[in-house]
Amino acid sequence: MKNGSTISKSVLPALILIAGFAAITWLSGFIERNRPPLPEGYGDTDLRMNGSRLKGFALGTEGLIADWYFMRSLQYIGGKIENSKSETINIDDLSDLNLRLLYPLLNNATDLDPHFIGAYTYGALILPAVDKEKAIELTTKGIARNPDSWRLYQHLGYIYWKLHRYDKATETYQKGSEIAGAQPFMKLMAASMQADGGSRDTARSIYQQMLDSSDDEQIRSTAVGRLAELKWFDERDAVDKELAAFKERNGHCAAALSEIWPELSRVRLPAINEFTVDKANRLVDPTGAPYLLDRDNCRVTLDREHTGLPRPTN
Amino acid sequence: MAAEGLRFPSRILTISKNAFREAVRDRILYNLILFVLLITASAVFLGELSAGQEARVIVNLGLSSTLIFGAFISIFVGVSLVWKEIEKRTVYSIFSKPVGRGEFIVGKYLGLCGTLFVNVAVMGVGVSLALLYVGGGSLVLQIWPAVALIFLELTILTAVAIMFSSFSTPALSALLTFFIFVIGHFSSSLRDLAQEMGSATARVVFDAIYYILPNLSHFSFITESSNGMTPPPAMIGGSLLYALIYDVILLTITVVIFNRRNFK
Repeated sequence: MKNGSTISKSVLPALILIAGFAAITWLSGFIERNRPPLPEGYGDTDLRMNGSRLKGFALGTEGLIADWYFMRSLQYIGGKIENSKSETINIDDLSDLNLRLLYPLLNNATDLDPHFIGAYTYGALILPAVDKEKAIELTTKGIARNPDSWRLYQHLGYIYWKLHRYDKATETYQKGSEIAGAQPFMKLMAASMQADGGSRDTARSIYQQMLDSSDDEQIRSTAVGRLAELKWFDERDAVDKELAAFKERNGHCAAALSEIWPELSRVRLPAINEFTVDKANRLVDPTGAPYLLDRDNCRVTLDREHTGLPRPTN
Repeated sequence: MAAEGLRFPSRILTISKNAFREAVRDRILYNLILFVLLITASAVFLGELSAGQEARVIVNLGLSSTLIFGAFISIFVGVSLVWKEIEKRTVYSIFSKPVGRGEFIVGKYLGLCGTLFVNVAVMGVGVSLALLYVGGGSLVLQIWPAVALIFLELTILTAVAIMFSSFSTPALSALLTFFIFVIGHFSSSLRDLAQEMGSATARVVFDAIYYILPNLSHFSFITESSNGMTPPPAMIGGSLLYALIYDVILLTITVVIFNRRNFK
């Protein structure tokens, strides 16, 4: 009897718990598998709440809800990229991803917390690839609510620069440079925009500042990619020039890039950059992939299968 | 309770100490374990989710949790503090000693405020440690004024809960206190709404609500502190005075109602 009592008191409940949880685990998967599929575009259902209206009704937790909207915007982009059927993502034009909720999400986040500089920054750097006017709208709203933040002027200047509106970019960088605590490069940027807004040096300065000042891994990797791309443009121009000179001297194109290496080693690239070679002494691009020689056109090209450089944008 | 022979402040202190011990015995502070788990998980996992914004998310999450946990303690413990003594009839043995009903109410109130103080302070330390872990050390000092404001808000909520419980059942008192918590946070929004309505009656009604009910948005500084802002001394001073005056008003009402109750 004692054994029977032990079984009913401890073993039986333990068995019921184990069997119960096992059944629940299996049933959860079963229900999910048998759920009717969601309608197309469900993820893009319009936001039900307007941030500015929600404000005041959040019982003092507006900041937390703003953070939630911000993190949702990050996941929204991540989900869209993950579900994208396209093999490559053009970071300068994300219109194919249909990111129409990105602005409302960031707008809600910044309505709930008008001082949320991280959300304005993210919007300024990503929204231009989705909706340029909305990017300007969000950053301008940020400046109106945080007039002492020179960083927002830097971001707005960046958007105008991306749009090739160099006059507006000059004006924005100039205004930002007048704010107390603004970094000296804001003045330099204003001058660069006015003198040579479309130059590679200006672009290099912008991406270098982006890399130096951002904590966001996505933004930093974009900046690293763009800086590498600018280095490739400079190297391409220098190599093509030496290839043309070689052809003129010898009447034919070089058989390999190593033939013009003595000339290339004397070339001074902009921004104290230098050519790089790998262990096999091959000339490599900024991501470490060897350059290819297009002998038909007598030009250097990228090895698209191995390079880590973004797709060409200019 | 050895209150006999004690002077007025000592009797209140004795009751408040007992109320504090009772809250600890009721395992009220166990909510801190849940809070620590929440903050630790946030500190570890938020880096992946927040794109470099983990410090501000920890402040928002930590201080919002401090407010919500504290509000639940204020409401649910506050409404049962006095009711439990009446229900268990221990109130008879207390009042058989030279303890006034007012002293009893104030003592109970201060005891719960003490519990909340410990709760809020430990949570503040938890948020500070989480901030240090994620490299948000610059925000550690900034959060403390917001923590202090949360505590002041909770003292008002506790006084509201005790006031309702002095004449109503715990369930109804909890509901009414929760309504006050909600309305108190958007009373200024209601007032703005009334201004837009254009109706003179609506304006009068909403103005009355605005001034009579506690305006708890005076104590909201969580979002600002997550952005590294500190409230000016005038705001802290004004809020402290507002909370003190409101607490005195509510406790006075409670004592008046409680004095009229017949325990026979």
